[in-house]
Amino acid sequence: MRIVIAEDAALFRAGLARLLEDEGHQVCAAVADGAALLAAADEHHPDVVIADIRMPPAYTDEGLRAAVELRRAHPGTAVLVLSQYIETVYAARLLSASPSGVGYLLKDRVADVDEFTDAVTRVAAGGTALDPEVVRHLLAASRRAGGLDPLTARERDVLALMAEGRSNAGIATALVLTLGTVEKHVASIFAKLGLPASETDNRRVLAVLLYLRS
Amino acid sequence: MDAVSLVSPVLRGPFTGRARREVAFCVLTLPFGVFIPLAGFFATVDAGLLLGSGPPWVADGNPSGQAVAAAVGVAALLTVLLVTTGAARRLTAACRRLAGWLLGEQVTAPPPLASRGARGLAARIADGPGWRALAYLLLKFPVMLLECFAVAVLWGAGLANLTYPFWWLSFRNHSPGTRLSPVPVITPFDWIGQGHFTVATFPGTFAAFAAGAGMVLAAPWVTRTVVAADRRLIRGLLSPGPLARRLADLERTRALAVDDAATRLRRLERDLHDGAQIRLATLAMNLGMAKKKLGDSGAVPDADAARELVDAALQGARDALGELRELARGIHPPVLDNGLPDALASLAAGSAIPARLACRLPARPAPAIEAIAYFCAAELLANAAKHSAASTIKIDLSEQAGRLMLTVADDGRGGADPPRGSGLAGLAQRAAVVDGSLTITSPPGGPTRVTVEIPLHA
Repeated sequence: MRIVIAEDAALFRAGLARLLEDEGHQVCAAVADGAALLAAADEHHPDVVIADIRMPPAYTDEGLRAAVELRRAHPGTAVLVLSQYIETVYAARLLSASPSGVGYLLKDRVADVDEFTDAVTRVAAGGTALDPEVVRHLLAASRRAGGLDPLTARERDVLALMAEGRSNAGIATALVLTLGTVEKHVASIFAKLGLPASETDNRRVLAVLLYLRS
Repeated sequence: MDAVSLVSPVLRGPFTGRARREVAFCVLTLPFGVFIPLAGFFATVDAGLLLGSGPPWVADGNPSGQAVAAAVGVAALLTVLLVTTGAARRLTAACRRLAGWLLGEQVTAPPPLASRGARGLAARIADGPGWRALAYLLLKFPVMLLECFAVAVLWGAGLANLTYPFWWLSFRNHSPGTRLSPVPVITPFDWIGQGHFTVATFPGTFAAFAAGAGMVLAAPWVTRTVVAADRRLIRGLLSPGPLARRLADLERTRALAVDDAATRLRRLERDLHDGAQIRLATLAMNLGMAKKKLGDSGAVPDADAARELVDAALQGARDALGELRELARGIHPPVLDNGLPDALASLAAGSAIPARLACRLPARPAPAIEAIAYFCAAELLANAAKHSAASTIKIDLSEQAGRLMLTVADDGRGGADPPRGSGLAGLAQRAAVVDGSLTITSPPGGPTRVTVEIPLHA
């Protein structure tokens, strides 16, 4: 995949570029702020952009705004936003601007190389990758409201992984279950929560997130 | 001091901008001095005449008791009305602005009545600044008379006297034998019946000119003296009262303290975010990559790359530790727990410019005061290292009358200027929060000497 990185911390930027190249991806550009990111995206038309949220000049949410703009200007470019903090509102803004081809992960997640590259691949394929932290917040709110009461503990685990944007196969690997068991859990979750069954992974994620946020 | 330097300010006096502005002030504030006493006078006398029933004046020429009572009643009512309607405040606000504009006498306005949530008649009657404004308007009357004297007699008549020689020949050129009455010359002492004289001939006009010159030369100094009395009244009566000033001070310094705390927390977050946090994230990433290079089990597929990544991770861990240590010390230096002398000694030992420390502190100040003194010293040392080009610094810590005095003096090039930043304004603010102060003497060319004075207990 062709990737553009935007990250103001030089060490982290260099490390990230190396990680992605070691995994066989091509890093077209590695820049340090939002404006340079948009310029690089215009120039290289990458498959994925990986952007830090807080960048110069104002160090607030430049990366997020650039990501939203990018998704509008280049629908073919997926965006994975990285941050040292997880804010549920940022996730909501990102998803409402573009329900597919986006991701929002803590920077810590790069430590698990396979999971991270899996998330990059998923986002590039038009899926979503939500940080487990965001999902945890959403689940906690939903649980307080009683929305998850019908689910078994196992089904809640599966729901969380679905909300992160994982496929059935991914969920099966993560929970060490067979694909068939996962499919059964998923069907049961959808039936219990009254959600319409969805064909694609992405529709499924959106349905789950919509449920959790309502 | 030679004769020229003594005489020249006297000769230049009438031509200075200050003299012009003071005259303008006297003229423009004249109505304020006239209006209130005059209005009060007519209102009370008329009220005495109208409201006192029966013949207003008893046989001996004195007013009747009723007329006096009516006059006193109206005077009291007028006084209260002037204060409660806020008229006194509004009138004096104009005086205060004129004083600021023309005299450079910047007096803070008292807080408005409404801002303290006090409306209602009782609050208006108890309006201290309103009563002081009224007192100003009444005291302005005698001051105004003196100001009138200075402007009308010394300036006005003095300038008029100067003109005598110039028009004399044009108007007094009648044929010989014509007898003309002499022309009077006004002098400052006319009003006590002294110094009045008349001029009948052209050479006599030079006496008038001389008198005028003397008056005009004296005018700016007399005006200045009279205006100084007015300034005192304005400062004393038209400023917020001492309690209101204290309140304003406390509000200001509290706002500073709140801002300062918020700023420091934000900077701390920023330092963590851009420093230790990102280093640790990078370190985790390097370890993650190294783990991948090491493979799941058995033989290592890429040992060299793994070793290199572990090295980078190790370096990252060291850097992150160092950064966290610096950050923690910046929040609260542990050595400060041993007392200010130890903390300052450690600061002096780490100073880029050799620093000598002298501590004479009989008792330990409050911890918050120690922290303020420490951070002031640290900032001053850093400033000196950055800007002064000094070769030695002397830090002096002592106690004077319950106040902690911290002096940092260097032998550098001076020129430190709080408004131009270098953190001095911030230090002054931090000291002000505990009623302390910062004194800077730093002439261009040096040396620089900054004294922080704060109470021993906040």
